[in-house]
Formats: sequence, C-alpha cells, structure tokens
Amino acid sequence: MAKPRVAIFDFACCEGCQLQIINMEEAILDLLNVVQPVEWREAISDHSDEYDIALVEGSITRPEDEERLKDIRRRAKILVALGACATTGGVNKLKNHINSDELKRCVYGAAAAMPHLDTSPTRSLREIVKVDVEVHGCPMSTREFVNVVRCLATGTTPVTPNYPVCVECKMRETICRYEYNEVCLGIITRAGCDAPCPAGGQWCFGCRGLVDDPNVNAANDIMAKYGRTADDLRRRMELFNSTEARPCPRQ
Amino acid sequence: MSPKKLSLPTMNDWVAALIREHRVFGPQAKGDRFAYDLLGCAADLRLDHDVTILPPRKYLMPPTEVLITFTRSGKFESVMEGEPLVLFGVHPYDVAAIAQMDRYFTQDHADSHYLARRKKVTIVACDVQSASENVFAACMGTATVPDGFDVLLTLVGETYVVESRTAAGDALLALAGVLEDADAVSLGRREQLWMDAQKLLRRQNLRCRVEDLPGLLDRSYEHPAWRQKSELCFSCGSCVMVCPSCFCFDVQDEVGWDLVSGERRRQWDGCLLTQFACVAGGHNFRRLREERYRHRFYRKGKYLHDRCGFVACVGCGRCAAACTSGIASPVALYNSLLEDQ
Repeated sequence: MAKPRVAIFDFACCEGCQLQIINMEEAILDLLNVVQPVEWREAISDHSDEYDIALVEGSITRPEDEERLKDIRRRAKILVALGACATTGGVNKLKNHINSDELKRCVYGAAAAMPHLDTSPTRSLREIVKVDVEVHGCPMSTREFVNVVRCLATGTTPVTPNYPVCVECKMRETICRYEYNEVCLGIITRAGCDAPCPAGGQWCFGCRGLVDDPNVNAANDIMAKYGRTADDLRRRMELFNSTEARPCPRQ
Repeated sequence: MSPKKLSLPTMNDWVAALIREHRVFGPQAKGDRFAYDLLGCAADLRLDHDVTILPPRKYLMPPTEVLITFTRSGKFESVMEGEPLVLFGVHPYDVAAIAQMDRYFTQDHADSHYLARRKKVTIVACDVQSASENVFAACMGTATVPDGFDVLLTLVGETYVVESRTAAGDALLALAGVLEDADAVSLGRREQLWMDAQKLLRRQNLRCRVEDLPGLLDRSYEHPAWRQKSELCFSCGSCVMVCPSCFCFDVQDEVGWDLVSGERRRQWDGCLLTQFACVAGGHNFRRLREERYRHRFYRKGKYLHDRCGFVACVGCGRCAAACTSGIASPVALYNSLLEDQ
C-alpha cells in the first residue's frame, strides 16, 4: 500500500504544534515510514497541491485564510486539526471580545489602516470547514498525534476522550485543586492530556477545549460552594474557551 | 497462628525487614492526604492514615493494563502482568472491597488478568486508627473484617496485636523474629477496639440497615432526588474512579509504528461518564446525566446485590470526598430517599 501523502499547514499560531512533531526526534523516522510528507513549511522545502491528509494548525483570523483553508479542504481526503488554535480558536480568540478597530490601533499603532493588516474575528477550523479529526491541546499531545497518524494509516477511527480531566487526575492520584480552594477548569475540560498541570500543582487551563456536554448550569452552585463566583470561572475560561465563557460583542 | 504482640520498635524493624525482602506498598503522606505507594523505609508508612485517595485496587486492577499483544493478521498472545507484592496497612473496608472484587472477577467468567495479579498479593490489614470525615463503613458492616487478609494488625495502646491467618502471612511474620503471644489484656483491648470501631467509622450515618438498601432502591426509581442531585453532576467520574469496588473498564487497541503489531489495553471506565453507555452506531442508552447518576446507585445498591448477594459499597466515603459538586455521598442520597418513604 502506498504511503498516504501528508501536507502540514499553519495559520495564526505559534507553530508549536508542528514543532511537537519535530520534537519527536528519532520517532520521526518511524513517522516517515508510515506517511510521505509533501509539504511542511517548518521542516522541508517541498511544496505540493496533491495530498491525502492535511494536518492543519492555527486559527483563522483573516478573510484570505478562510479561502486558503477551504482550498486545503477541497484537496484533502482527511483534514486533521492540530492543537488548541485549530480546534477551539485558542488564545487567538481573546481578541474577539475587543472592537476590531480599537484592537488594530492598539497593536499596530499608526499602521493600523494598512490593508495587509486586515483582520476578522478568530474562528476554529470547524467553524469554517468539516474537520475529520481533532488533536487537542496547547501544544497538542504528541502521544495523541501519534495514535491519530497510526489510526489514519490503518483506516481505523481514532478515539478522543469525551470525559473531563478529573478522570485522569484520579488515575494519577492527584489531589484536586478544589481541595486547595482553587478554581480549576478540569471539571469541564476534555481529557486526553494525562492531566499534567494539576499533577504539577497548577489549575487546568482548559487548553483541550470543553467536553461535548459540559454542565455549565452547575457552575454557579459549585463556585458558590467554594466561595467563588461564576465570573471567577469565566475569567479562567477566557484563555482557551472565550466563546464559551461569554458571548462576543458585535464587531 | 495465635495472635502475637508486637512492640512499636519491633514493628518498625519488621517493616524494615519486609521492605528488604519484598515490594511493600503502604499508605504514605501525599500533600495533606494519603496515598499507597512503594515503601522505601519504615518511617514513611502511615498506619495512622484516615483514608487514601485511591484504594489499593490500583495494584489489582491498574488504571491501564495490557491484556494481549496482537498482530493485525490475527495472531495474539495474552499478557499476564503482576509481580509479587505486599499491601501493608489495608483498612478493613478496603479488605472487604478486595473480597468483592475477587467475587466479580471469578464469577461467570474468570478474569485471568485480574487473578494473575491477585494471587501474587499478600494483604496485611490494619484496623483503623483515625476515621475520615466521610466514612460510614460501620453502616455497611465493614468497620472490621473477620477475614480476607493474610495478616491483621491492631494498635492497642502502645503495642500492636498481630494475627496471621495464612501461610503467606506466617512467612511475612517470620521476618519479625520470635514473638510473644498476645496476653489476655491486649486481646481484650482489641475486642473493645473492634466494638468502638462500630461508632468511630460512622461519621456519616445511614438511617437504615444495609440489607434494606436494595428494597429502598426498588421503590425509588422515579424519586425526584435523582434529577435534583444530578443537576450538579459534571459527569467527571471522580466518584467511580476512587471507588474500591468499582471495576468497569473500556478496551482499546493500539498498533505500533509497524502498523502490524499492537497492544490491547483496558482502562478504568465509569458509568457516570457520558460515553460509557454509548454503543455501536452512536446510540447512548443513558444519555441523560440523571440516568447516569441514578445508575451508579442501582448498580451498586441493587443490580450487583441481586447477582452477588451483597451491596457493592463498603462505606469508605472516598466518592463523597472526591465529588467536586458534593452530590456523590451514598449516605446523603439514601437518607433523602428514606425521608419520603
């Protein structure tokens, strides 16, 4: 069987998820035995418009990005979103709460009106095109990425957890952040990362996005139980889940 | 073997000797809480622990384990993991939970992977010295246990009474050297301590007998408490992950880089999780939070009782402690069902 042709693309992001692939180091050789990269800006100089699988990182923040993404979608048999920017919009979505003109003036000063600085509200990939597989996290989990690649190469469906991070904290026997009276997003965030942040003494930032059916209605009561307010939870959610934290104002 | 007396210094030397000869896992401090871990030295052992975050089940059924290795052409080989180990300082309710696990995994279809680990485990039980806030073991009949262990330790004043019940227990105790028989006074104090445990391990009080629970549930399927409490449920599964008598698992295959050989693993799963009852084709037969929340109590309080003859809860209170929303306490739930009877 011919190896699937894979192209890796980036949009608005730090390109840290591509870097996670490069950071696989010797395992890259294993990866290359399974897939044939035909475009990968961070690692190779080749370019190709013909590919089976598109791995896409970054969020969509400009009108021209939307067209480019749709073109990638048309060419790829399978489109995989890599990392928080691609799967949830990530930290780039913070700007959606600020008026666009005000934002451009703040960032670019006198150059704000230049046409190449044109911007639109940040969207995740699935807000624009059909996404077949999502590899969550900031940065994406390499372990999950490897599993997705192997599943795609064998024609099986990768399984992504749809339960909260609490499951993995319990498996690791991590003491719950709420026992330290700290607001942690683990109760509504999709697991699959092996919960390294709470294990390291940090609250969950929610970088993997929310589970499909988060119990947002319970938030008020639970925050009150710990002497907090729903706003305390919202403020923490804004980092990676700003759309879910509060509705965006009109641009 | 008749009960022996073990002074605190002898106890310390015995644990040190055990650590030299065996892999000994016991409760140790972890932050403000306690957790079972490999013992490096006797001083780390905390027999005064109230409850551990996870029960010792993690050594009998780890969070993830490999069941078989396979090739995609259809060859496979069973993997039996598990090395000999000593679980030291197991509280009676956890001893009772292990006995329940033994029953589940031998009934109908014997689970060879569980049993491979189980037969290599020696259990040194220890009567509870300090009760946790949520414990209700006395309500469930597990404040003390008559069997299910190899050795039982009980602190009576400034000395331990130690009693071995099996050949494996005798072998462990032989490492303590020659021990004096426990005198009548110590044995009397042990009896008293067992009686006191019935009060001590009732920090939460169930207002019915354990044998009434299946009937109570029988009458309560449509009770409003299920919906009310489940409105706060995050479906996070913490209550079942920390449960010493929960044993549900999911099975997944993972192939290696050669895309030919792989491993089949099982991982803890739980009926509170959204996807637990999701079957082929995407249908979920417990789609609502309320249904999942209710199912846990029926499973443990009725369905397993109907099958095995016991309520699958030992009253450790870990679920109540682990639940962020404060809705997992079986005592609170059962008592609220009882109010409307």
